[in-house]
Amino acid sequence: MDYGIEVRDQEAVVRLRGRLTFNDHAKLRTLIGEMGQNKLKRQVLDLSSLEFVDSAGIGMLLIAREEMDRAAKQFVLRGAAGQVKRVLTVAQIAKIVPMED
Amino acid sequence: MSDGTTQSAADSAARGAAGTVGCRTRFAGLAAPGMPAERLGRLAQALGLAPVAEPAGPAALAVLLTGADPGSDADELWLPPVAAWIEPPDGSDAAGLVPLLAEATGNDLYLNLTTATAHDLQLGGRLLAALNARHRLDGDRRDDLELALHEAVSNALVHGNLGVAGMKELSAQELERFSRDLGDRLADPTLAARRIIIALRIDPAEDGPTQNGPTQNDRALATVEVTDEGAGFTPGPRISSGASGRGLDLIGNIAEELEIGNGGRSIRLRFRL
Repeated sequence: MDYGIEVRDQEAVVRLRGRLTFNDHAKLRTLIGEMGQNKLKRQVLDLSSLEFVDSAGIGMLLIAREEMDRAAKQFVLRGAAGQVKRVLTVAQIAKIVPMED
Repeated sequence: MSDGTTQSAADSAARGAAGTVGCRTRFAGLAAPGMPAERLGRLAQALGLAPVAEPAGPAALAVLLTGADPGSDADELWLPPVAAWIEPPDGSDAAGLVPLLAEATGNDLYLNLTTATAHDLQLGGRLLAALNARHRLDGDRRDDLELALHEAVSNALVHGNLGVAGMKELSAQELERFSRDLGDRLADPTLAARRIIIALRIDPAEDGPTQNGPTQNDRALATVEVTDEGAGFTPGPRISSGASGRGLDLIGNIAEELEIGNGGRSIRLRFRL
């Protein structure tokens, strides 16, 4: 997995690309740190270019959400499609994290 | 080694498997990316197989992999005619490979790798490609099977062989702990040398009329067993409020059957294809 962060007027948009699995722990640690540091209150994770997520990947998304909560930031998942959307739906993640199309 | 003993090594491999689950794959050749041709030739001859430089042709091949070999992640190594991927145990000669090939013979696909090698290979996707090449899967079912295979493999590697506990609390500290444990354990030669074994069998759809019209049985059935060498675990109620603990539930949603055995060191999944 890799990612790019685009800081806009109202929100920071982090676009994830590729596959998010247990092996991406180091990148997620860095990413969570970067999201905490930028000043914007609204952090959007754009999942539209993410091809695959596993259970550990979901866990790491939930950790990111919790850390943003601690930093008093909004955290949103946007644009999940294909396998990613299916897994997030099965795991009922929308009950915990706001999801946008 | 003479031709006579050569033949008997291959035969005993076939017989060993036939005693348990029958012969499903008759190997004709042996490939080994990165291995000097002379050594490959010797090993192949001792096993009664033809040394093969590049996978090709219809006859099933076994591939010997070692983690350090460049090219062991080349896509063509994971497609037919290759049906077994074996990392030779340290210092093993042909005799050490005979029982592993015998196991492979009893399956349609067979992997026996160290944790260090398996960790780098994204085996879920590789297995899916190998399965898909033999039984075409599409769309959502393909995605689901990839996830189930990936979860079973990563459980065996991370929680089984490496003994890393799942992320329980939802915190960056817990992610850091997971990350550190994973790195430390992978760097431990004893843990990194533990094996993961994956055996996959595909059984055709059951023919014949059924009283109740078409049933699930008109689809082929894949059986996958993933075995590790970790401490095992006791299956119990699963808690998925933390960051970990969803893997088995996801597998359970996808597989028709999920059976934990061997004290938690093996998982057997069955899927209709």
